[in-house]
Amino acid sequence: MHNYHFGRGRARWAPYLLLLPGFFFYVLIMLGPSLATAVYSFTDASGIQGSQLNWIGFENYREFLFMGQASIDNYGALWRTLVFSFFVTSIQFSLGLFLALLVNQRLIGVNIFRTIFFMPVILGAVIQGLIWSLFLYPLGGPLATMLEPFGIRSEFLGGQPSTAIAWVIFVQIWANVGVTMMIFIAGLQTIPSDLYESARIDGASGWQAFRHVTWPLLTPSVNTNLLLNIIGSLQAWQLFLVLIGYRNGTQVLGYLIFAQGFGQTSGSVTSAFRQGYAASASIVLFFIVLAIGLPVQYFLQQREKRILG
Amino acid sequence: MSTITNPETKALPEQRSFPVRRFNWIRLVSYLILGLFAIVYLGPLMMLVITSLKTMPEFMKSATALPSGLHFQNFIDAWERANFLRYMTNTLLYTVSATVVYVVMAVFVAFPISRGYVKGAGWLLTLYVIALFLPVALIPQFQLMLGLGLYNNPFGYVMLFLVNPIGIVILVNYIKTLPIELDEAAAMDGCGYFRFVTSIVFPLIQPAIATIAVLHAIGIWNELILPTIYLTSKDYYPITRGMIVFQGVYGSEWPTLAAAVLIMTLPMLLLFLVLQRYIVSGLTAGAVKG
Repeated sequence: MHNYHFGRGRARWAPYLLLLPGFFFYVLIMLGPSLATAVYSFTDASGIQGSQLNWIGFENYREFLFMGQASIDNYGALWRTLVFSFFVTSIQFSLGLFLALLVNQRLIGVNIFRTIFFMPVILGAVIQGLIWSLFLYPLGGPLATMLEPFGIRSEFLGGQPSTAIAWVIFVQIWANVGVTMMIFIAGLQTIPSDLYESARIDGASGWQAFRHVTWPLLTPSVNTNLLLNIIGSLQAWQLFLVLIGYRNGTQVLGYLIFAQGFGQTSGSVTSAFRQGYAASASIVLFFIVLAIGLPVQYFLQQREKRILG
Repeated sequence: MSTITNPETKALPEQRSFPVRRFNWIRLVSYLILGLFAIVYLGPLMMLVITSLKTMPEFMKSATALPSGLHFQNFIDAWERANFLRYMTNTLLYTVSATVVYVVMAVFVAFPISRGYVKGAGWLLTLYVIALFLPVALIPQFQLMLGLGLYNNPFGYVMLFLVNPIGIVILVNYIKTLPIELDEAAAMDGCGYFRFVTSIVFPLIQPAIATIAVLHAIGIWNELILPTIYLTSKDYYPITRGMIVFQGVYGSEWPTLAAAVLIMTLPMLLLFLVLQRYIVSGLTAGAVKG
């Protein structure tokens, strides 16, 4: 690191003092609460102001994992989280790479396509959700009308849980594949073009050039995208809220945490704020992220060492 | 240029004609696929525009047919019924104030970390990076806000947005590209730390500042969960929350709802087209180096 140039004695404190406000808010709003989630998971915290907080040990975890119908529902949510993450990650990753390769060619108008594919990222979950709810409106909406001649009828988002989740997966990828694509484009542009030139002179086919030049040299963006997609999709749930709402058989863990912690109206029933319980669910989700993220990270690092040395 | 094209011109004519013809095929197929995807992206948006221009009876008769005329009445209805002016103003106030304060604080965090001017700079940076993996802060954050009496308080709401670890990482990386000689020369001339950061570093890192400002602002503008949790009075609602409430009330009146969605979408789309460069560079920053 560098020597400090801007004076000694009291002047040496300037960087510390000026760093403090930003760091203070980071600890207060994000880091502190994030770590405190573990503490709250052992209490019966409710969301009610001034209510008593009791230490109840592993009770929340016991209830979450081993107690009757509720825990069976929780395992359902956990399984759906994994399924959702698997499909979103694998499709978004491959589609993002595919689109990046397409728009990274020297073609007229590729910039317009890049902009189009990236656009939903800016619009945010609310607009993304409303656009697709209209498109998937089951009573004579656009897609329903298009499918009618083929004799296909579907309730789409209001139908079977598996149908509804499939559509959320679709919208999630539609909304976010632009980010994956952009990261791949940035990676593709670091690959020197004379490598392709020499591959072509050596008589390599398009596929061989991809296999032996593009793919290995794309390793950094492959790693970034894979990790971001895995972690992002495990934690994603906002589109479930906007597209489906809290419906039995469709929730994922992230939504369950929110619904337990802050109450969720389903029909006429508003559930209580069970924040200690929700905190324990957050910790479960955290361990799932770790259990999947760390081995993947390790594997990717080993692979990078092997390929790029 | 000539050195690059040389190998090609040396190649035999028969060898050249094959790749050229195949290249055209690739081009055609590429455009076809890109066009198909573009339909999936623009189609739903087009449906939104078409729907927003219809009357309710027209929509009931056929949701997909073109409107008989341009019924801008839906936009007027949506604007009046949804209290949009209020929500837009709120969103704008939250977004601008939180982004400005955040960016200033972020530079003062990132600069000494990047330069190693504070002890444990590496550790500090790690603290910001691990935020990506940590459990969601929602529950304790809520308890904290209750405890501080900042529930349903616009200032408390803005406070929630004074943090964004990714911005710090982007800034730290960008500041590394500034030569250290700059600091030495300025200090030699008797420039103080505060003045150096505000009048020399700030202007030099403007591209990175634009990037993190835009990324942060988009996040605040589109935030739905935090206003749902923290803001209970309608006077404080940002546009996202207002939109969801509006959907709850007018959910079956698709033409009005579509007009409302378009009103909310247009400013973001325009801003995006202007600032696209910064958004993209921010998202891809650091991704390539690994």
